Amino acid sequence: MSTISKITLYILIILLGVYILAPFGWILVCSFRPERDLFYVPPQWVPRRVTLDNYNYVFTGKIPEGFEIGSGGLTARISEKARYILPGLRNSSIIALSVMIINLVFGTIAAYTFSRIKFKGSLPAYMFILGTRLLPPIAIAVPFYRIVQSLGLLDTHIALILAHSTFTLPFTVWFLTLYLKNVPPSLEEAALVDGCTRLKALLHIVIPVAIPALAAAAVFALMFSFNEFLFALFLTPTIKSQTLPVIVADVSVNPDVSYALMSACIVLSIIPLLLFALIFRNYITRGLITTLRMK
Amino acid sequence: MLKGGKTFGEKRYAYLSILPVVLIVALFTVYPISYALWASFRQIIFYQPYHTPFIGWANYREVISSDYFRKAWETTLIYTGIALPSVSAMGLGIALLLNTKLKATGALRVLILLPWAVPAVVSGILWGWIFNSTYGAFNGLLYSVGLIDKYIPLLSRPKTALLCVVFAHIWKEVPLAAILYLAGLQTIPNELYDAAKVDGAGVFTCFRHVTVPLLKAIFLIVIIYETIIGVVTFDLLYVMTGGGPGGTTSLISYFIYEELFRAFNFGHGAALSFILVVAMLALIIGYLKLLPRQEVY
Repeated sequence: MSTISKITLYILIILLGVYILAPFGWILVCSFRPERDLFYVPPQWVPRRVTLDNYNYVFTGKIPEGFEIGSGGLTARISEKARYILPGLRNSSIIALSVMIINLVFGTIAAYTFSRIKFKGSLPAYMFILGTRLLPPIAIAVPFYRIVQSLGLLDTHIALILAHSTFTLPFTVWFLTLYLKNVPPSLEEAALVDGCTRLKALLHIVIPVAIPALAAAAVFALMFSFNEFLFALFLTPTIKSQTLPVIVADVSVNPDVSYALMSACIVLSIIPLLLFALIFRNYITRGLITTLRMK
Repeated sequence: MLKGGKTFGEKRYAYLSILPVVLIVALFTVYPISYALWASFRQIIFYQPYHTPFIGWANYREVISSDYFRKAWETTLIYTGIALPSVSAMGLGIALLLNTKLKATGALRVLILLPWAVPAVVSGILWGWIFNSTYGAFNGLLYSVGLIDKYIPLLSRPKTALLCVVFAHIWKEVPLAAILYLAGLQTIPNELYDAAKVDGAGVFTCFRHVTVPLLKAIFLIVIIYETIIGVVTFDLLYVMTGGGPGGTTSLISYFIYEELFRAFNFGHGAALSFILVVAMLALIIGYLKLLPRQEVY
């Protein structure tokens, strides 16, 4: 490869890196600075003062420096919502993990059936499940709210778990069915002849083979649930069940918001996700690649 | 072994095994949609919950003739019209870049997933902060470099607001497209390129005649997926512009939200939702007819 093309490629790679990382870097830098420093026009690119106050506020409620005047009054209103980041994280995790488990258990069983057993109504059922993926969530948001309300499930984790499962199960079933269709059934057939039930065959033979696909499906379900916003917004009136995206949105949409505090909130809310994506990136990419190869 | 008994047991297992999934999905999609259909033919306003007279097609008529309707569809069209080609082209470009044998691409392949991993709301907030009219980094950059002498209120002007929102959307969606294309690129066997080169093909010809045809399937997937996402986007709008200066960044999904929670008119919202569902179905079927063969299922 000629040097010129190499250089251009390197430049492109650097530009790409900047494009991806710039927002993250900027918000990270902003989160460690005192409120006042963010109001410079043009902004100070290199921070002159660094402080942990913003993070301190989220964790302990100690008001950051710039806000206090002498006798304990505040110069500006400070968002109390910011203190809800940790409970929000907890709610998000509970819901996301539950959704992941539901997907893994029910999705796998259903996918296995779709990929192996031909029975009356299997195609319509399959098409139906996949067809629901095309539904715009907003279209069912309000009726959904009414159902949940009449079941008395508003403001619980269960409401969101059900909502998220409704959206993730079709994808999981589609993904796993595609994968399983390409796993040769010879081993299972042998077991079935020996008198093993379908369920046992699934558990002992198929699952060990399908672990990469299962991991990918699990990761997708988890991430979808964690990042979901619309239904979380509708179905969770109080912090008892509010998820992280809702809290973060609440903090940022507030016109009185302290930008430094907002930055700290955002950093805190994306760290678990980024770590997760980094650790499991192989499963994500491999999952997508395997499905593509199965065409 | 009783063949009859075995098949019967297996059939029962089959139905039972898909029951949970079908039940959950059906319950939370069929029922709400039916309810929305029912509601769209009635006048239902939140502060008059017990008075729901049947009014036929009135909701649909009112909604379609409102100014917002046409505006929202136009905006959605422009939005998707910009986002779709950009995501597609950039994704392909990045995939090609990552496919080269340079060592630096290793680190990039790791980083590329990050924008996709964050919630759409976070992307909206991040870029909303960068494009902020008074303190934003983007304005600051242009100012420091000397390109402008006064900050531009990007999110308060109709044209630039839409562009900013699209930008944040593209930033978040490109990684997925890139990975899909990359996966596709890696399934193209090298022999094809070698054969083409032996026949005297240059870089661009190789691309046009070897790469592009083989990526058709992925192209279709990306297009369908991104169109759906483009039409359905809500998170980003809510956080970045709240529907935009004078409704200029209100996509159809945001418009539905407005009808429901500002006008409290559930009948309208339901009618809109239904129109949206039908439109999406028509769109998908249109796509599938246009680009035949390669299919997702």
